Order: sequence, then C-alpha cells, then structure tokens
Amino acid sequence: MSDGKFTRRALVAGAGTAALAVPAAGKLAGGMIDLGLPGGPSLRPTTPDFPGKRDMIVQRIRPPLLETPMDAFREGVITPNDRHFVRWNWSMPTEVRAGQHRVAVGGAVRKPVSLTLEEIAAAGEHVSIVAVNQCAGNGRGLSEPRVTGTQWGNGAMSCAKWTGVRLGDVLAKAGLADSAKRVRFAGLDVPLTDGAPQFIKSIPLDVALREDVLVAWAMNDEALPILHGFPLRIVVPGWFSTYWVKMLATIEVLTGEDESHYVAETYRWPTAPVKPGDKDFPTVPIEAMPPRSFITSHADGDTVARGRPLTLEGFAFGGDVGLAKVELVGAGEGGGWTAACQLGPDEHGPYAFRRWSVTLPHVTGDLAEIGSRATNTKGLSQPDALVWNPSGYARNVIERITLRAQ
Amino acid sequence: MRAALFLPLAFLLAACGAAPRVEFADASITLPDDPGDLPEGPGRDSVIENCTACHSPSTMLQQPKISREKWEATVKKMVTLYKAPVDEKAVPQIVDYLLAAQAGEGDVSRETPR
Ligand code: HEC
Repeated sequence: MSDGKFTRRALVAGAGTAALAVPAAGKLAGGMIDLGLPGGPSLRPTTPDFPGKRDMIVQRIRPPLLETPMDAFREGVITPNDRHFVRWNWSMPTEVRAGQHRVAVGGAVRKPVSLTLEEIAAAGEHVSIVAVNQCAGNGRGLSEPRVTGTQWGNGAMSCAKWTGVRLGDVLAKAGLADSAKRVRFAGLDVPLTDGAPQFIKSIPLDVALREDVLVAWAMNDEALPILHGFPLRIVVPGWFSTYWVKMLATIEVLTGEDESHYVAETYRWPTAPVKPGDKDFPTVPIEAMPPRSFITSHADGDTVARGRPLTLEGFAFGGDVGLAKVELVGAGEGGGWTAACQLGPDEHGPYAFRRWSVTLPHVTGDLAEIGSRATNTKGLSQPDALVWNPSGYARNVIERITLRAQ
Repeated sequence: MRAALFLPLAFLLAACGAAPRVEFADASITLPDDPGDLPEGPGRDSVIENCTACHSPSTMLQQPKISREKWEATVKKMVTLYKAPVDEKAVPQIVDYLLAAQAGEGDVSRETPR
C-alpha cells in the first residue's frame, strides 16, 4: 500500500482496501445482452436485482452504472422509473434520513441558509417538466476508434416527468450577492479517498435562474428513488445529466469560473474537430444536448417483406430545443434519399422524447444502412459521420441499420 | 437479492388548494452484492488488492483493447487523480494481467454468469 488513505465512511461502508475488498458473493439473476460494441467486449449481464428496477443492463455493480435496454423505448415517451438508467461516479449512500437532510445554500449570497426538505418544498410554486436525462457519455462504447471510459451502448438516456421547485426560488431564500456568477451543486456522494475530487458541478447563473431549472423531489409522480438521487436532484432540461446533481446537499454560489475537477478538467470536449492522438487542444464544458433519434420498430439485420409497404417507427428528441423534423435517410453521405417522417403529438414540450413513424409504400429490395435523422428548431441536424472526440461525449451521429427484403 | 425498500412519499393536497404539501419519508435500499469476478491469471490478486476498492472489476474488463502505455497511464490516473493506494511494485503485474485479460474473450459477463 502506498500513502493513499481511505476515509472513514469508506471503511464503515465496507468498501475498503485490500483486506476488505471484494467479498465473495452470489451472482445476479438474469441474462446477457450484446451491445454491438465494435471490437468488443460487447456482452453485458442484464438483471432485475437492483432495488426498484426491472431488467437493466449492468455496466458496473459498484458504484452502480445501469443502462436502459433499448426495448424500453419501443412504446410511449416516458421511461418508467424501473427502467431509467443509473449513473454514479463514486460510491453512493444507500440510506437517507429525510428529517435530518439539509440543503446548505452559501457562497456569494446575502445570508447563508440551511434548508429542510419541507422548506425546499415551500420555497415556491411546484413545477413539473418532462425532460430527457442523458449521460454525456451515452453511446461511448460505439465510438470508432474506441475510447476509454464507461462503455455505454445508447441506453444511458431516459425521459421522465420531474417535479420540484425552481432553483431560483431556492436561491432566493439566501439572496444572491451582486458578485454571483455560477451556481455549484454537491450531493451526499463523496470520494472514498482523501484528496480525490468530489463530484461537484456548476452551471452559469443565467441557466440556474431559468424558469425550468428545478430542485426536484419527484420523478414520474413518485419520490425520487435513492438510485436517482433521493431526496432531491437538480434538473437542467436540455443539458446533459452530468449537471443534474443527485442527493443534493450543498448549493454554492460562485463569483467566477469553476476550477473544480469535474468542470475544469473533465466533461469537456474540443472546440474544433480533433483526431485520435491530438494533444493540447482547447476544450469547453459539454453542456447542451444535440438532437438524436432512433428506430425502435426494427433491429439491424431484421427481414422485411419485399413488394409490400413497410412502416418504421421510433422516437427522437431535439436536445436543448424542440424537434423540427425527423427524416428517414438512405445510405451514404447526404443520405442518397430521404423520406419525411410523421411526428407524434407534442405531448410534453420541447425537452421530451417524441415518437415518429414513416411508411415506405413499396419495399423493392434490401434497405442498406438506413437511419433516422432528427433536426431541431435551431436547425441543428444529426451528422452523417461521428464527431469523434477522445472522451466519447455527445454522440449523435445518425444510427444506421440494414433490413433484408425477403 | 431483491431487497428494495422504498417508502413512498405522499403528495397530500392541502385542503385550501394552496401549493400541494409534500411529505418526505426516510429511504433506504440494499444494493446487490458485487461478486467481483475476475478471470484467473497471474497478477489477479494484485488487481483485486489494488483496483477493486472503488469500483467493480467490470470497470477494467469492459474497456476496449488498449496498449500497455494506455493501461500504465490509466493506473497513474487512478493514483494521481483519485488517490488510489496502489502498490507501485505491483503495477507491472497489474498491467500484464489486464493486457492478458483483454487478449482473451474479455467477457464482462464474468460478473454474472448463470
Ligand atoms: C481510489 C479509488 C480508485 C481505485 C483504488 C482505483 N480506481 Fe479506477 N476509477 C476510479 C474512479 C473514481 C473512476 C471513474 C469512475 C466513473 O467515472 O464512474 C475510475 C475509473 C477507472 C477506469 C475507467 C476508465 C477511466 O479512465 O475512467 C479504469 C479502466 C480504471 N478505473 C482502472 C483502475 C485500475 C486498473 C485500478 C488499480 C490499479 C483502479 N482503477 C483503482 C477510482 C479508483
């Protein structure tokens, strides 16, 4: 052992060092799924063994990383809580006492306060918003060339209805100082080692004060499950979930840039395209989501009836604004051909999943490398080619499948 | 093990029609045990001792095939950034093991085969 020290909590939690590591334990129930990651390893276990979850893809047991199987997206636009993906950077508490929980609001404020859950809930109007929660690294495992990090397929995303109060109303309990520039969040999850960076994240003040940025306690009309951040989590509709800090315990108003690790050194991507091996390029934090879309009615390699009409279905989202359109595109740069898809009803506003469908009148042969392409109301479309970056962030290339005519 | 214990929170509508009152109850869960499976091979004990305190072995086993240098850099990142207490003398063994594991099928399923 070198001089790294594990903190008391780690030892108490039994997550400890060599002597304590890896208790012999039973296997999880469940099957296996192939995520189709190029070059592998591509097989992952699936299990219903996590509390409050149906079958989920296990990327990691400890700390939990659970991916939503794509079949959960086949119908509807709300992902049920028992299929919502799970992502923790450091070991998470498994017990929270509601009566003892406090949210400290401090930093560049007029009067620091420590709020109970009841005080948070009474801080302002209760607001519900449906929004996609997506990991910045969703689809990383599909990057070519491959990159290291959690090797997600495309299921590190889900869409839920979030209910809480506006972050602005919570900040008003303390009152912002004139020097306020950013708002930083910390949860109850802390590193296992002294001196390691805590998972804390911040957003610019103008974003923090948006009408739809919430301190949320409910997810699809249920209390936030512990795996999703009970008792409170930040919700920043349109932004990647790295900012949606879970088990919210501290809100700190900053007067300048955030120099902390998870903002200044990671969860960043290049300002201009880079190639594998490039070094020392400028980066910016990964923030707003770009549009994405998926075909859910068919899988790669499925057969379809030659000479017959074919209906394809799927879902899409616009990212940080609503969807303008979804098209089905053929193979090759620029698509070769495109067919306009019919968008399902705009039930839940700009940040939610929305369904689409399209009927091709007559299948004449194989449909090679077809994909769906979403364009949002800012005019941003999914690209034909992957915008490769060394951390595999913000994948939104057109996802393609081939259907065989028979 | 399915030991979920969610104490649901009740949304009580206040009689006067003001903002609905929210009641928060304590919550606790039991997470599944981590079998911590790693394929047999020289260096396995070093990996268990140095690399599994903070995360399951799948963190390592699921990575795409990477070079010796990249594995060395990853171990270094664990030490310098995350303050992992890694025995310096064990690093070559750890890296050899991880390279060998990747040369095999590298099946992350080892955490849960049934
Ligand atoms: C002190 C805690 C700790 C120890 C001990 C530790 N790691 Fe990590 N490791 C982390 C954290 C934190 C992450 C990031 C987890 C996340 O993003 O969810 C990580 C991530 C990784 C990843 C994913 C790729 C990446 O760069 O993020 C690999 C591979 C990895 N660790 C290998 C190792 C190896 C090999 C060892 C033993 C030499 C080791 N770890 C020991 C904390 C630790």
